[in-house]
Amino acid sequence: MTAYIVRRLLHLIPTFLGATFLAFLVIQLAPGDFLTRLELDPSYNTEQIDNLRRIYGLDQPFMVQYAKWLSGLMKGYLGVSLSYQTDVWTVLKPRILNSMVLVGLAVIFVYVVAVPIGIYSALRQYSWGDRILTSLAFFGLAVPNFFFALLMLYFALWLKDVFGHEIFPIGGMRSLYIDGVDFFSAPKWRQWLDVLWHAILPVIVVGTADTAGLTRVMRTQMLETKMQDYVRTARAKGLSERVVVYKHILRNAIIPIVATIGFLLPGLIGGAGLVEVVMGWPGLTPMLLEALFSIDVYIIMGITAISVILLMVGNLVSDLLLAWVDPRIRYS
Amino acid sequence: MKRIVWLLALLAVGGMAFAQPKVFKSPNPNETPVYGGDFRDWSTADPKTFNPFVAKETSSTDVMDLFLPTLTGYNPYTLEPEGNLAKSWEIKNNGLTIVFHLREGAEWSDGQPITADDVIFSAKVHADPDVGSNSIKSFELDGSPIVWTKIDDYTVQADFPKPFAPALIQGWYIVPKHVFEKAYEEGKITEMWGVGTDPAEIVSGGPFMLDQYVQGERVVLKKNPNFWGVDEKGNQLPYLDRYIFTIVGDMNAALAKFLAGEIDLYAASDADQVAQIIERIDAGKLDASIFPNADVTTGTNFIFFNWNNEDPWKAKLFQNKKFRQAMAHLMDKDAMIELALGGLGKPQWSPISIPVKQFFTDDVAKFEYNPEKAAQLLAEIGFRTKNADGVLVDASGRPLEFRLATNQGNNVREKIAQLFTEDAKAIGVNVKYAPINFNELVRQILNTRDFDAILIGLTGGIEPAFSRNVWELDGPLHMWNYGPDFQSFEILIDKLMKQGATTLDQAKRREIYVRFQQVVAENLPLTYTVAPAYNPARLNSVGGLFDKDQITSIVGQYPYVETVFIKK
Repeated sequence: MTAYIVRRLLHLIPTFLGATFLAFLVIQLAPGDFLTRLELDPSYNTEQIDNLRRIYGLDQPFMVQYAKWLSGLMKGYLGVSLSYQTDVWTVLKPRILNSMVLVGLAVIFVYVVAVPIGIYSALRQYSWGDRILTSLAFFGLAVPNFFFALLMLYFALWLKDVFGHEIFPIGGMRSLYIDGVDFFSAPKWRQWLDVLWHAILPVIVVGTADTAGLTRVMRTQMLETKMQDYVRTARAKGLSERVVVYKHILRNAIIPIVATIGFLLPGLIGGAGLVEVVMGWPGLTPMLLEALFSIDVYIIMGITAISVILLMVGNLVSDLLLAWVDPRIRYS
Repeated sequence: MKRIVWLLALLAVGGMAFAQPKVFKSPNPNETPVYGGDFRDWSTADPKTFNPFVAKETSSTDVMDLFLPTLTGYNPYTLEPEGNLAKSWEIKNNGLTIVFHLREGAEWSDGQPITADDVIFSAKVHADPDVGSNSIKSFELDGSPIVWTKIDDYTVQADFPKPFAPALIQGWYIVPKHVFEKAYEEGKITEMWGVGTDPAEIVSGGPFMLDQYVQGERVVLKKNPNFWGVDEKGNQLPYLDRYIFTIVGDMNAALAKFLAGEIDLYAASDADQVAQIIERIDAGKLDASIFPNADVTTGTNFIFFNWNNEDPWKAKLFQNKKFRQAMAHLMDKDAMIELALGGLGKPQWSPISIPVKQFFTDDVAKFEYNPEKAAQLLAEIGFRTKNADGVLVDASGRPLEFRLATNQGNNVREKIAQLFTEDAKAIGVNVKYAPINFNELVRQILNTRDFDAILIGLTGGIEPAFSRNVWELDGPLHMWNYGPDFQSFEILIDKLMKQGATTLDQAKRREIYVRFQQVVAENLPLTYTVAPAYNPARLNSVGGLFDKDQITSIVGQYPYVETVFIKK
């Protein structure tokens, strides 16, 4: 097992180099660089822009830039953001934390909602409850996230008009004031409560599609396991229905679902995508978009590097988890 | 005992006499300002830094404006130069030397005095090419340096290589020398005051000081008790306790916040937004006012042709004044305002933006929408017959067609380009329009020069001398023609721009820039289209704002942030 883990970890190195090199290359292939947008500004001289290009190191050949970035990375340094002129990690850290709040809550939401619904649907297959939940699941899968987010914002605004005060906040992550006091002067638990309140709608939006998907998987798994011989055996032994469902069916049906937890890791850091932009959640996606528009190479590379590492580690964790829950799987 | 009291009183009076605060004129004498309250502004992007030597975009400088002083700026009522940290100045030596007198008694928020040393140090750092400050151009004139020297603790002198009309506008940020000097000597000045810096470490010399910065959410500034400004009654400014920027995803999110009463000021970008605000005010759900079409913005949109086209036939065509005038006759500006700007905006005919009242003139040649006239002009230059596809051809049978590009994603420009394309096709000019990526557009203009015609805009400013890069023959943005052959009107424009930048007399300057506008409007190196409207809106709880007829898009809704207040 140890040998397997070491081998997997060694595989990470070429994959990582290849992925980051490709990302760096793609950024360079796009026309222009960080300073291009200044070139059409009448208040800049050509010499001034050339000078900035020299200071930022953008005049150097592509391979030199990549090598510099990589050698910095070896020392645990993600480079200096061009637009912020400060360490990339300083800029990314608060964004990653914000995204983790949203994605973490969404993951809990997904499992807490999807697993029980999946079980219910499987046990009462083709009942009215199952049919309604199935239709809802298809809706959840079909509606695009960003559009659902807009609907939610509209919903929040409508609620505010109907009730005269905010039932749900209209975007954002923190209120400016809590009961007339500045947010950061309020007690800590009130601050947390305020963030949770802001998270309700975005979490529903982020979680819906995954919930719908997972519900279907859970239902299928349960139905499949229900037909297994050992379930019939268990029933024949005279075990109670409760024990049969939870000890025999569920325990086996849930294996592939546990395995997917590892894949959540990169998503947890990578942010919730466009929902963050639409709902004003200050996560990683708005920052990544801004960096892409301004071609802030090192912010983009920082995010890419972190995502690549997490994706690979997440894969490994998934494989290990699988071996742990399912005694039939062995790596050697 | 009595003597001590006298002494103290004398000291106090002496202190007052030494302190030379700036008096801020409030826009509306009938209002009674009150202290306290938060002003809630918004921004679509995070500040990138709090270091003025690093800042490159308005999302950073909008915040810096509130906590870093400058020597002078524009008076918001007259748009003439006005002292900020400089209380007065003397112009000597035919305008080659300007002596600025600083306000004695002005202090940084940490209690240190603001002196000539801070000014000279800041000038030195801004002018250092290895720092890369955006303000570096304020320290040279046509390649020669502008020299700043300290006369005494509260007097500095600037020596110009030649007379310079905007010399009195010294809008670069002054920083506390005692904070920045060590880092500068170590060559690490760009690492100072980044977004990760503890706000308490950031020293202010302006009306506000940094209080908190939460990435992606807000920037909060609080009142600087040491600020060097008072109102007309001598009360310490600013009135506000705090100034808050909420960072929002885009304009629509900002509008939603304004409609919900969560931000204090907003400028509607189009007729649809105006309608939404009016609807909410009329429904009694928002206590606010909006002034649609109060002014137009200084942004410009224009079409220009590539006179250096590698195809000599096209180059010759684009260099022909009659061709460009014919193209101008094909621009239906009323339709552009209606369809691209949602009915709010004005046609633009010349390079100086309409709100820049001290130089703008309406007395220029206007080639108004007139397809028959356009067809007639094209006939005069040889395009008399149409081919089987309905496209005009010249004597050799070559069809009149060219490519037009604009930057992708700019809805206003894309619609303007489409309207022009349709009108041109209607009389047989085959315009092949395709929007392209902005950076690619820049590359085509500045490097490869493989375009025919481009629709783009430049951010307009209040000072025409700062657009010399566009109009002088060797300017890097002389985009339609990089030479080596120039037409006589281009040489005239070059001369006018150079004169305008070095003439100190205001009336003579106006004459020069009026002539400049007339020459451009007649010859159309850039053909201007339409300028979007400025539609400011405000919550009625905000005081210290301009009345409707005082509003300009250059100054905005209030003359000074110092005299803005929140009504109780």
